[in-house]
Amino acid sequence: MSKLTRRSFVKLAGGAAAVGLAAGGAPAIANSHKHHVIVIGGGYGGAIAAKYIRMADSSIMVTLIEQNQYYYSCPLSNWVVAGFRNLNVQKWGYDGLKGHGVNVVHEKATKIDPVSKTVTIASGKTFKYNRLVVSPGISFRGIEGYDESATHMMPHAWKAGPQTTQLAKQLKAMKNGDPFIMVAPPNPFRCPPGPYERASLVAHYLKKHKPKSKVLILDPKDKFSKFGLFTGGWKKLYGYGTDNSMIEWVPGGEGGKVTRVDAKSMKVYTDLDEFSSSCINVIPAQKANMIAESAGLTDDSGWCPVNLETFESKLHAGVYVIGDASAANGLPKSGYAANSEGKVCAAAVVASLRGKPVPTPSYVNTCYSMISPDYGISVAAVYKFDPAKPEKVHSVSGGLSPSDAPDFIRKQEAMYNESWYQSIMSDTFG
Amino acid sequence: MQRRKIHMLVLASGFLAGGMMFGSSNAEAGATAEMLANTCAGCHGTNGQSGGPAMPTISGMPAEYMNSIMAAFKSGERPSTIMGRIAKGYDAKETALIAKFFAKQAWKSAESAPQSKNRTLINPKLASTGGKLVKKAKCGKCHEDDGMTQDEDTPRMAGQWVDYLLFKMQDLKNEHLAIPQPKKMAKRINKLSAFELEAIAHFYASKK
Ligand SMILES: Cc1cc2nc3c(=O)[nH]c(=O)nc-3n(C[C@H](O)[C@H](O)[C@H](O)COP(=O)(O)OP(=O)(O)OC[C@H]3O[C@@H](n4cnc5c(N)ncnc54)[C@H](O)[C@@H]3O)c2cc1C
Ligand code: HEC
Ligand code: HEC
Repeated sequence: MSKLTRRSFVKLAGGAAAVGLAAGGAPAIANSHKHHVIVIGGGYGGAIAAKYIRMADSSIMVTLIEQNQYYYSCPLSNWVVAGFRNLNVQKWGYDGLKGHGVNVVHEKATKIDPVSKTVTIASGKTFKYNRLVVSPGISFRGIEGYDESATHMMPHAWKAGPQTTQLAKQLKAMKNGDPFIMVAPPNPFRCPPGPYERASLVAHYLKKHKPKSKVLILDPKDKFSKFGLFTGGWKKLYGYGTDNSMIEWVPGGEGGKVTRVDAKSMKVYTDLDEFSSSCINVIPAQKANMIAESAGLTDDSGWCPVNLETFESKLHAGVYVIGDASAANGLPKSGYAANSEGKVCAAAVVASLRGKPVPTPSYVNTCYSMISPDYGISVAAVYKFDPAKPEKVHSVSGGLSPSDAPDFIRKQEAMYNESWYQSIMSDTFG
Repeated sequence: MQRRKIHMLVLASGFLAGGMMFGSSNAEAGATAEMLANTCAGCHGTNGQSGGPAMPTISGMPAEYMNSIMAAFKSGERPSTIMGRIAKGYDAKETALIAKFFAKQAWKSAESAPQSKNRTLINPKLASTGGKLVKKAKCGKCHEDDGMTQDEDTPRMAGQWVDYLLFKMQDLKNEHLAIPQPKKMAKRINKLSAFELEAIAHFYASKK
């Protein structure tokens, strides 16, 4: 008897609540109990964080603020520069994320106030958050002479989209015999092997279409990522080290540092020399995106110091910084690392909203690079966090493709590179 | 025996106290299955449902099979371009957690990966040729139900990517790679031409 009474009581209460919801406007009631997470930046880091927070706990309201309608992926955009891939294959939209219940707002975030916990967007609208995830990518530091208008004449193509197309066009229009000049950036920068992959693929293009031209890399550094694998591949494919090399690399120690550019005369200057061409790719030094800087999330280094177990900012509680903008010591500034950081951060955000202990993180990075369309190489690592050494994540396995791999393995890695891209994009936007 | 037990108990409570002292950190507990498995998704897709035609879908793979494959990648017994480097990053306990996680995920056929661009689409004519070849070669002796069945030592092939299946069979045939495989399968696959392998890849991929 008593059991029966209780059961019918629950039923009644349930019914009443349902009526209340229907009459009172469900969202208002629901929202007042919901946690709100804002994510700024819908790229490799931000889109993943938004999706994985929703996958872990669909009661959390997630708003993604992304300035562009479409995202153009930098990974594999060097193929577009070299003319063997269409930019359309690099383009992704946000319907998949909407399908996971993420509210997507296509506007620029203009202000973050970590004290009142609000974000303001270009139209003036302000959102309140419980937790904020920031993944806005990079901004450039200046090189003398490299102003806004110079970026059109000497494209960086270090943010994919119109810049990529512009550089591809200039390469195509370049006279057979002119050099393709690349001004490489100093450390740390987005995608450490990226400039050297680009140089390789441009050399591949030149070999076929402009055999009298070559790639000239002016570099402030004396060494770069996957050095042995790149120079090994260059020797094999592009005569590197001989008089007829299609690639010439001038390291910092030999005067490779560019100090000034002049876009009007299409010239770049080092301390001792000047170089000119109709096709110059200037990749400037980098720092965390402006929005992170203006929110006070950066330190003197120009990057955002974070707790590597959670990616929470060391400067502002409740704000997490992932992707290229963070100073994620031990991890490279890559799309795969941003993906991994997004997942670690998502788990930490969900745990903190539930008042649970910090989940133990696990991270992976892999960067594939191409030396020609049939010649892929990679670097991979699995990382752990050691609470006794919190300043850096440490790798527990990994390494480079073997230096003596046969051609068919290089070809397989080239195929896996494209499939990696499709998979990580389906993870990010699917 | 007795003493050892007591010693372990003391140790265990020591850990607990440590955990409480550090308040929020959970490091001793180790990473969850989900946390570990999510690191694979950059290549194998969300929950192991691959978005790229050369990367195998691994969702729904029986845990025993994944455990043994990961161990073989780790030891080098099974050659790989990259999995050896990755598999070494997880100890046996972590690998077991990962394997359990993927075993629980639903299989989704490659055809249903809506976002993917640049893949080989299934050619029905080739697939039907492949069906006949598979029957003739008696692949179904082990790959039952048109490759739908999977167990602790045989992977699922129905609904896998055309491209992956083709690369994989080329690899299985490649003596430089010496991929461990049943002798009876090696004998059968070695007899097949490049065109026949392609048809078989389309056949298995077309089954969902
Ligand atoms: C040529 C090249 C090749 C590369 N190749 C590889 C590769 O093969 N593998 C790899 O792993 N990585 C590669 N990378 C690196 C990879 O692109 C980056 O590491 C990755 O994009 C970092 O992700 P993120 O989320 O930090 O930034 P992004 O992906 O740049 O995303 C930032 C997003 O934030 C938005 N945003 C910025 N500010 C605001 C604002 N104020 N309001 C609203 N939205 C804003 C931007 O529009 C953008 O969509 C390559 C990079 C380059 C340049
Ligand atoms: C950098 C990309 C990458 C990452 C990360 C990665 N894999 Fe792989 N995986 C591959 C590739 C490529 C192959 C094919 C074998 C090879 O050449 O390495 C493969 C093959 C496999 C296979 C064999 C499938 C079959 O049917 O034979 C399994 C199982 C697997 N991976 C599991 C995992 C697990 C589990 C993780 C995470 C712990 C993981 N992979 C992370 C790229 C990756
Ligand atoms: C004697 C049993 C047997 C027969 C017969 C057999 N296979 Fe297999 N097959 C296996 C086993 C076991 C594996 C897993 C091997 C491993 O990687 O450990 C396998 C793996 C494969 C794979 C790799 C799948 C993946 O996801 O990695 C392919 C492809 C394949 N077989 C195709 C064939 C074809 C085609 C035939 C017929 C021509 C065939 N097999 C006949 C037992 C068999």
